[in-house]
Amino acid sequence: MADPVPIAQVVIHQRSGEGCIQEDRVFCPGWAIDNIDRYVDPTLQHVVLVAASVGLGFAIAFGLALLSHRRRWLVPPLIGFTGALYTIPSLAFFFLLLPITGRGRDTAIIALTAYTLQIIYRNIVAGLANVPGDIKEAGRGMGLTERQLLWRVELPLATPEIVAGLRIATVSTVALATLAVFAGGGGLGSEIIAGSNITFKTGIVIAGSIAILMAFAFDAFLFLAQRVLTPWRRAVQA
Amino acid sequence: MRGNGQTAAAVHYDHVTKVYPGRSAPAVDDLDLEVPAGEICVFVGPSGCGKTTAMRMVNRTVEITEGDIRVGDVSVRDRRPAELRRQVGYVIQQIGLFPHRSVADNIATVPRLLGWEAERTRARISELLELIGLDPEFADRFPAQLSGGQQQRVGVARALAADPPVMLMDEPFGAVDPINRERLQNEFLRLQAELRKTILFVTHDIDEALKMGDRIAVMKAGGHLAQYATPAELLMAPSDPFVEDFVGADRALKRLALMRVRDIDLWKAPLAYVGQPIAEVRAKLDGAEVPYPLLVDSGRRPLGWLSERDLTGDLVPGRPHTSPDPVLDLDDVMRDALSDLLQTETQYAPVTDAKGQIAGVLSVEIISEFLTSADAATEEHGAPERPHG
Amino acid sequence: MIAPAKPPLALLGQFGDAFDFIFNEQIGRFSGGEPVGGPEQVLDLAATQLELTGLAMALALAVALPIGLWLGHRGKGELLAVAIGNSGRALPELAIIAFMAAAIGVGLLNLTIALAILAVPPILTNTYVAVRQVDRGAVEAAQGMGMSAVGVIGRVELPLAVPTIMSGVRTSTTNVVATATIAPLAGVLTLGDFIINRNVYGDDGVLAGAICVAILALALELLLSVVQHLLTPRGLRAVAAEAA
Repeated sequence: MADPVPIAQVVIHQRSGEGCIQEDRVFCPGWAIDNIDRYVDPTLQHVVLVAASVGLGFAIAFGLALLSHRRRWLVPPLIGFTGALYTIPSLAFFFLLLPITGRGRDTAIIALTAYTLQIIYRNIVAGLANVPGDIKEAGRGMGLTERQLLWRVELPLATPEIVAGLRIATVSTVALATLAVFAGGGGLGSEIIAGSNITFKTGIVIAGSIAILMAFAFDAFLFLAQRVLTPWRRAVQA
Repeated sequence: MRGNGQTAAAVHYDHVTKVYPGRSAPAVDDLDLEVPAGEICVFVGPSGCGKTTAMRMVNRTVEITEGDIRVGDVSVRDRRPAELRRQVGYVIQQIGLFPHRSVADNIATVPRLLGWEAERTRARISELLELIGLDPEFADRFPAQLSGGQQQRVGVARALAADPPVMLMDEPFGAVDPINRERLQNEFLRLQAELRKTILFVTHDIDEALKMGDRIAVMKAGGHLAQYATPAELLMAPSDPFVEDFVGADRALKRLALMRVRDIDLWKAPLAYVGQPIAEVRAKLDGAEVPYPLLVDSGRRPLGWLSERDLTGDLVPGRPHTSPDPVLDLDDVMRDALSDLLQTETQYAPVTDAKGQIAGVLSVEIISEFLTSADAATEEHGAPERPHG
Repeated sequence: MIAPAKPPLALLGQFGDAFDFIFNEQIGRFSGGEPVGGPEQVLDLAATQLELTGLAMALALAVALPIGLWLGHRGKGELLAVAIGNSGRALPELAIIAFMAAAIGVGLLNLTIALAILAVPPILTNTYVAVRQVDRGAVEAAQGMGMSAVGVIGRVELPLAVPTIMSGVRTSTTNVVATATIAPLAGVLTLGDFIINRNVYGDDGVLAGAICVAILALALELLLSVVQHLLTPRGLRAVAAEAA
């Protein structure tokens, strides 16, 4: 092959990009195109990590919110407890769990789930609290039971705030799941710390970019989901 | 009215007391009254007098401490609150429409809770939309797309949906501007004339109470019932200084709002026809109650007043010097009639019947004479029928 | 896969060994005879982590606070402030640290800058939102009394915005502490070193590291919540407690 002709920092006509890789430039498109396959598995693992953690986190937080809906005194301690889980750095969490659950994907999921609890719980509680009092009064006065009121009125009206919490949790979890590799859970982090070779810039850039794009994709999806779930908010004001 | 086919039920308050936990003074103290079926009972009084509490004990959004309330013959305590409330229409000041549901879904709330079939519910929704004067296309709109007045009307329709025998209304028109409020009140009275429901209505506005109520319960601080009477009785015979004060120093004027022109004895003016010999007209002027001749056409419709200048010559001229305005109608509310008289600064106003023919003449003097001898007059006529619309 | 549950005594034993690691210097089985663990090393690494966190937060505050206050005061740049906040969350810390190590170079200074960049978004967004939510009436009254812009910001908007700003600071700090845990990848040795370099410190060291990091993070959070309480103007405390 002829010697590469550098254009700015990027070498473009060497398919295997060997020279680019050898010089460890920031981003080698040639190499990226050739090796895109190796990112498929980590990406899928990453999606599973995020979906499972946020899904589980939502289920638990929702349960806690239902529990504390008619027992307001539970809210501060639950906020405190989920807050502690949020504060503990995930890496530490992985290894605190290690003796109990061992290495692997499940440990990563448990830690990531714990991280999402506070923001989701807080937003569900706030969303329910923000339902205007007169709407609840009208509902009760018409003969809706407390349970009917919750499921048919309060929760639908709290949807925007709940989804906002889910969006924050999801975006954060996508970024955080890159650490799952330390717990043996796979994910895109495994391409960032490929073995002990953490000086492979292109690899880092690709993996990081996929993570960022994934975060935005999840965010957009949830945003659209919220719009679908709340058609009344799109109605034009009279 | 179609719908559930339920007839209105009477509401009995049986020595009802409400004491909130932790407080010593009762919010409602030994309230005992009966609201006949099909009538509007207005609870009125200053803030904190317990009027809202009293009303809300009927659907148990406030629980009774002592005593009982019966709707029809059934005690409100005999049913679970949620079930009871589905049989009682409930309208609150802020309306509380569900923003996430269409107008139709809002109205359908209680019918669905009661398990009505879809077809029946749909029919009822269109019926109600027509009743409250909204086009069918509004059915699929969301509350945010409606004006305040429209939302109010949907709120009323929602309360009427399952055709309940009793309705509770808590300052339903309070959040609306005065112009729209009057319109809504009139529309509601029109509705009530058709539906004849038993309605418990709460307001702090004595004028609204006098206008809307068949009976009025005036409450004072501490939850005591000061007086329970019809509007006329309330105005003419307030039971104590508090009620007198609350009703207002302008009681006399308020009475006028309850009367129509036809309720009073009118004066007669000498009538003059076009082309009639002046001499005949002059003859009629002697001893007439009204010292001016009224020019009328062949159909006895007022054309104007004749002054001295008009009465020169042989025959009555076709064009009178003074216009007949304001021309009043027998069905006009007395207060509006007085207002017209005062505004145009006329002394006498011709009053016509439904056909436009002269029925008599009204003057400020007649009204003030009436007011001063009102007790006698009312005993003769009986309680005057309240004007609507 | 979840490993079969260990008998409680064994678990206790493992945590016991970890605590032993923290309090007693010992000869590492893998470190080639070099002593590892013990309070001195633990405190040393903890101090580095706190130092790194403190510097990064100070830098982030110095940048984000004034900008957030100014933008909030003027009411401009809402889209920007919110967008930065949202995007900041999407940045994977591991990628940033690794990239730093690979491309820009290791060292306290570079790492501080990287962490400060991570810390800016929550502070910026929260400061902006906090100032916007200050009661307009209070601001207008102050302006009407002739206070300068700086005065309005300093004496009216900032004090009333404290609860929400502090909430952003706490979020930021949590993120920075967590990222500082993996700083050893970029050559700055913090408590995360115990966790990452298992071949040096052994399993006991890893668990010990995890425990220390958790305690450090929780203690810092507790400290900041006290600071928030102290900085909140007295009149706001009851309201702020509910909101926070």
